[in-house]
Amino acid sequence: MKKVFLVGIALFGFFTLFLIYPLSYAARPITIKVGVIDCYTGPAAMFCKEALNGFKLALDEINKEGVLGRKIEFTTRDTKFKVDIGLSVAKELIMRENVDVLVGTISSGVAMAVSDYCKREKVPLIVWISKSERITGEKGHRYVFSTGENTAIAGKAGGVALSKKPFKKYWIAGDDYEYGHAIANAAWRNLKKLKPEVEKLGETWWKVGEPDLVPYITAIMGAKPDAVIFAAGGASMVNVMKTAKATGMSEKIPGWIHTATEITILRALGPGAPEGFMGTTDYLFYHPDTPANRAFVEAYKEAYGNQPGFSAFHGYTTAHFIAEAFRKAGSLDKEKFIDALEGLTIDSPAGKLEMRACDHQALLPIYMGVTKKVPEYDFVICSDIITVPGDEGLPTCEEIMKARGN
Amino acid sequence: MEFDLAALGTQFLVGLSRAMILFIVCSGMSFVLGVLRVPNIAHGSLYMIGAFAAFSIFTLSGSSSTGFWLALILAPLVVALVSLIAERALFCHLYEREHLMLLLFTFALMLIFGDLVKIIWGAEYRSITAPPFLKGAVSILGSSLPRYNLFLLIIGPAVAIGLWLFTNKTKIGKISRAAAVDREMVGAVGVNVSWVFAAAFVIGCYLAGLGGALVAPTVSITIGMDHTIIIEAFLIVTIGGLGNMWGALVGSLIFGLTQSFGALLWPQFAIVFPYAAVVIILIWRPTGMLKSVW
Repeated sequence: MKKVFLVGIALFGFFTLFLIYPLSYAARPITIKVGVIDCYTGPAAMFCKEALNGFKLALDEINKEGVLGRKIEFTTRDTKFKVDIGLSVAKELIMRENVDVLVGTISSGVAMAVSDYCKREKVPLIVWISKSERITGEKGHRYVFSTGENTAIAGKAGGVALSKKPFKKYWIAGDDYEYGHAIANAAWRNLKKLKPEVEKLGETWWKVGEPDLVPYITAIMGAKPDAVIFAAGGASMVNVMKTAKATGMSEKIPGWIHTATEITILRALGPGAPEGFMGTTDYLFYHPDTPANRAFVEAYKEAYGNQPGFSAFHGYTTAHFIAEAFRKAGSLDKEKFIDALEGLTIDSPAGKLEMRACDHQALLPIYMGVTKKVPEYDFVICSDIITVPGDEGLPTCEEIMKARGN
Repeated sequence: MEFDLAALGTQFLVGLSRAMILFIVCSGMSFVLGVLRVPNIAHGSLYMIGAFAAFSIFTLSGSSSTGFWLALILAPLVVALVSLIAERALFCHLYEREHLMLLLFTFALMLIFGDLVKIIWGAEYRSITAPPFLKGAVSILGSSLPRYNLFLLIIGPAVAIGLWLFTNKTKIGKISRAAAVDREMVGAVGVNVSWVFAAAFVIGCYLAGLGGALVAPTVSITIGMDHTIIIEAFLIVTIGGLGNMWGALVGSLIFGLTQSFGALLWPQFAIVFPYAAVVIILIWRPTGMLKSVW
């Protein structure tokens, strides 16, 4: 008897679920749906979480007035830094969740695979952290955009900034993966072009995630270069800067890393960071010191307790690009959205930001500075800032079109 | 490319100090492998927990020098406690299972520990600093060597001597060595094998935690550091001779020194040196440098 009763309850529950679910679904207001795919597990998760925080912060502001009378809603999926998982979650979001726009991710490999898929499905994809120049360069197409800086921009900015320094003999060292080699090549190519007398003494490549860099650094110090170009990413940047300080390299031989002056890295190093280390980044929470930037930093700090880094900035601007493009398009049509996003300029915390029409790359300025201790913070910040404007750092539209083969 | 003696000397010392860290972690893994016959993939996670625990203790005690020493003492104990709980609650029911099952189980444990660390400490990069007298570098014949690496050169042999005294001079050490050779016999003479196993497991994991705490001031403490170390640790334990603690020492020295000299001799392809050494050794001596207890 008891058994029959239990089965009855289970059946009742089961059917009410079926009855209620479609009703609640229908009762929801129609929204603009953004699918966020990113890596929320592993060492890269920190940047992805920050990007999502920045994105959420912007949506809170945007949804107060709404876009086309609707709210922007998002749903996230974890790619686990893997191409196959990234592709399958992208498919799921497009096929089952019917997202209007797809946003992500930190892995260039995942970004390019999903970009290819989005091209076939004709769904816009906005890449916000991954830095391969091929995403909007040779592999670019109508459906992919990038709101982050890439290796071409960063390498050019690094080359321009380093060419103004007196160093002649360089050593190149870094993480042995695509990002490392791409950034090293771009920086060296530009530096050599601007200052032909520079000389490369040698290269050192260690495996990604290598915890102990001391043997590599002491070997480089033995070769006595004037400066070192470090092509390191993620946690490896912390290791490089710690080792540079521990071995005494930072006092003798200056080093440069793209995103070394990124807040998440400097905050992790705390007061133990080396001074005089050169770094480039496309966002600094204290520079430019404008009301817009201060307001963004305040709002972010209130919501998440910390100063925003570059990925939070990318997440924030991505949301505003999406909202503005839908407003300009005046409809939810994906093709009209893309037309509207091409050449769109928004007000960002760092000033006006344009989405270049020809290659769908945001024209982000790059700030080069050297690390310095200041009394206001318990970590070092960057000083002597040189700004390389966005359109100066990028390859030209003709170069992009040539790379794409049209 | 010419090398001076000073550069070679520095690379030798740097390689030795790296070998010390590897030895501390790998000896623990080898000890567990020898006594319990458990290939503990979660060993790297315990190393990571050691580093994160060191970070927490260091920051809680005001980021001071005392904090560093406290972290060095307490963080491995935290790891030992975690491992004791894991052993009593889970492992001790599984010793009779076949190796593949144990391998899968410890793999699952690694994933669980990885997520736990993310939940407790978050995904941000963490870092601690060594006390002032261990910071900076000393100059040896014109090449500089970080002071902290010299400190590791003292700690490493101290741990090795401690382990030798433990396994050769204490009763539980002798029993665990005996259990490594013939566990049924040890049980038959009336020793409570279950607790011997628990002790051996906790000691092995303590060493992982100690390695994590020792490495904390030199690296960024981050999720994912478990994966790097566990691959290296497995290679070292294998080339040294499975379950042989002194084999772990030999393996660590080979790994550390090939890495540091590789960085000097052929920096562009420095990655391959330790792995090439592993391949050569496994072809030459498939069971490892020293006698494997398996």
